[in-house]
Amino acid sequence: MFEGLKSKLQNIQKTFGRSIEAAAVVEAPAAPAPIPGKKPDTFVSRVKNLVIERELIVSEKDINEPLAELEMALLENDVALDVSDAIIGYMKENLVGSHRKIGTSVDTVVAGALRGALLQVLGEGFDPLAYVRAHERPVKILITGVNGTGKTTSIVKMAHYFKINGFSVVLGAGDTFRAGAIEQIAEHARRLGIKVIQHQEGSDPAAVIYDTVEYAKAHNIDVVLADTAGRFHNRKNLMSQLDKIRRVMKPDLVVYVDEAVAGNDAVVRAKDFNDLVGTDAVMLTKADMDPRGGAAISIAHTIGKPILFLGTGQGYDDIVPFRPETIVDELVGVEG
Amino acid sequence: MLDSLSSSLKDALKKIAGKTVVDRAAVEELVRSLQRALLQADVNVRLVMHLSQSIKKRALEEEPPKGMNVREHVLRIVYQELVGLMGNAGKTDLSRQTILMAGLQGSGKTTTTAKLARYFQRKGLKVGVICADTFRPGAYRQLATLCAKINVPIFGDPAEKDALLIVRDGIKRFAETEIVIIDTQGRHALEDELIKEIVDINEIAAPDHRWLVIDAALGQQAAEQARRFNEAIGIDGVLITKMDGTAKGGGALSAVSETKSGIVFIGDGETIDDLERFDPDSFISRLLGMGDLKALTERAEEAMADEEMDVNAMMRGKFTLRDMYRQLEAVNKMGPLKQVMSMLPLGGMQIPEDAYDVTSTKMDRYKVIMNSMTSAELDDPQIISGSRVHRISRGAGASPEDVRELLKYHRVMQRALKGMRGSKFSMQRMMKRFGKSQ
Repeated sequence: MFEGLKSKLQNIQKTFGRSIEAAAVVEAPAAPAPIPGKKPDTFVSRVKNLVIERELIVSEKDINEPLAELEMALLENDVALDVSDAIIGYMKENLVGSHRKIGTSVDTVVAGALRGALLQVLGEGFDPLAYVRAHERPVKILITGVNGTGKTTSIVKMAHYFKINGFSVVLGAGDTFRAGAIEQIAEHARRLGIKVIQHQEGSDPAAVIYDTVEYAKAHNIDVVLADTAGRFHNRKNLMSQLDKIRRVMKPDLVVYVDEAVAGNDAVVRAKDFNDLVGTDAVMLTKADMDPRGGAAISIAHTIGKPILFLGTGQGYDDIVPFRPETIVDELVGVEG
Repeated sequence: MLDSLSSSLKDALKKIAGKTVVDRAAVEELVRSLQRALLQADVNVRLVMHLSQSIKKRALEEEPPKGMNVREHVLRIVYQELVGLMGNAGKTDLSRQTILMAGLQGSGKTTTTAKLARYFQRKGLKVGVICADTFRPGAYRQLATLCAKINVPIFGDPAEKDALLIVRDGIKRFAETEIVIIDTQGRHALEDELIKEIVDINEIAAPDHRWLVIDAALGQQAAEQARRFNEAIGIDGVLITKMDGTAKGGGALSAVSETKSGIVFIGDGETIDDLERFDPDSFISRLLGMGDLKALTERAEEAMADEEMDVNAMMRGKFTLRDMYRQLEAVNKMGPLKQVMSMLPLGGMQIPEDAYDVTSTKMDRYKVIMNSMTSAELDDPQIISGSRVHRISRGAGASPEDVRELLKYHRVMQRALKGMRGSKFSMQRMMKRFGKSQ
């Protein structure tokens, strides 16, 4: 996972390190400039300043080239243009004018800045199991997203995940539009031994999902997972339909599903879905297709909502809770 | 977001337009905004860098040909380079053929298979579809439902797990059929077993075409995926799906450049007729956010072929309600209004998003109202008096205000068409008047 971006980022850190190091070499002879705001009082403290606590100030000029390189790397890894601009912005802010004590290594400074930038973008994680435990039952989860991102497969994986963690689950076959969708979810549910509430193809999805919630209440089910038909965010009528479903279901969580391989459009649609029907968390599918990880960064940054799960394959077990720190550590390569 | 991009591109072009010689700063600015536009559209980063380098070089080094101003010269270079990037449109003809569909999970293979079946069927060919997706539950049912709607026979067996067996039998079953389309399971390049499966299917079916289906939203990953598919089965055409969203389909260009093939069709809607032949001009226009008239006129021709409109009579101001009815029908056939509008070169004109929704329902209502009119009224709207308005509104289940609104709309259209005569043809002005009447 994220192999591509990882190796790129680690290379670039080195470039950053080199240019800052190079800048330091040039500056070195002229460096004993007093640090602003500090008065060199005694001879001893002066020496101490010079030798041990001497700081280097990183200037924009030093890092422009590696920043351009970082931008390329981000773009090549499907981080959307606006988002990579933002990351570069954070990096600049954090690095330019930063004082580096001569004792600390360049790598630490750069890795710290990059780590900070990425963590800021990825936001906090979200523990689904803790959420369900702490919440009043049934926990109602509504799945949204555009066509073909893997909503139905993801919902089944989530159901499986909750089930093996000891929660009872019911599915609502809310995709009444796509031919074969009801059959698809029903077959998955049969294999997993999970109840699914379904109506006919073409019926009102809000009604199906309402029935699902009622069923869960009557049978003391812990988690309700409601599927919906894929829809484009620029279709006004379909988005109002989704809004109606949301009003009827009153979900505790709206989970927006998108694929890890999506490019710049991921940002546009994530934003529209968030604006029009709201999003509480994101599930990113097809992460196994793509050793990059740009879409995760783009979407999380754009709507500022946590990523819940990654879908990583075609099996029911191919679902991993998303933990930003772990991912960032892996990307930046900080050990411990 | 995209609007601002295309406007920055237009600004950059404007700056060049004012110059008598190509100046470096202006070209660099243009190339920069072009880069951003293309990156935003998911075109491969390396392709973009390569392209912008050669545009910059040519714009600065080549002398503008005589009679061509600086702006035209630079635009021409940009256009040529983009067309070069795009390759030729993928080949397809109406001969006997077998087509193998390949692509990632959820890229839209099944829907596109049905759309293709419909496309060839409309050309008067016998089509058969084989469902070789034995993995995804409901896949057979989905394809069968879609095909039943258009009466295309489908071969498959939801209980059979061996895709190769299905393909073998399917090919035999459709031996007499002119066009055979094989839908396959979604797979990606890192799944070795599945890649092997499609290699085997390819051997058994010996298809004439192996088309790769690419989601318009696919990002930088497109190049890598296309390369692997190409290595496995030799892709000779690319289909872009989901172009009705906001994605620009730049990923498909990476696929084209990796496979050295071309884009064959574009899918742009949820109904079975939403499939278009690829046209580089209109694709570039969408990529950069500029309108394209050519695709529109082609669609218009096709839609109006069976119901001839007397354009000359209309220009003379003889535009009856009957003509308007036909026109509304034609617009309907051309596809959703929004799509039609996106192809018009409206310049910087902004059309409010909800205008489209209102308009298409309104058009349906207009047609219902016109159905309640007599022939005499349709030919000469002048005779529609107050009592006629009431009769029509009752017949159509509409309010008299609706009927009056329709008549007003007709008068505006009539004036607009009259205005077109003599003076320079101005689509823009016509559209403005359209806008006012709504």
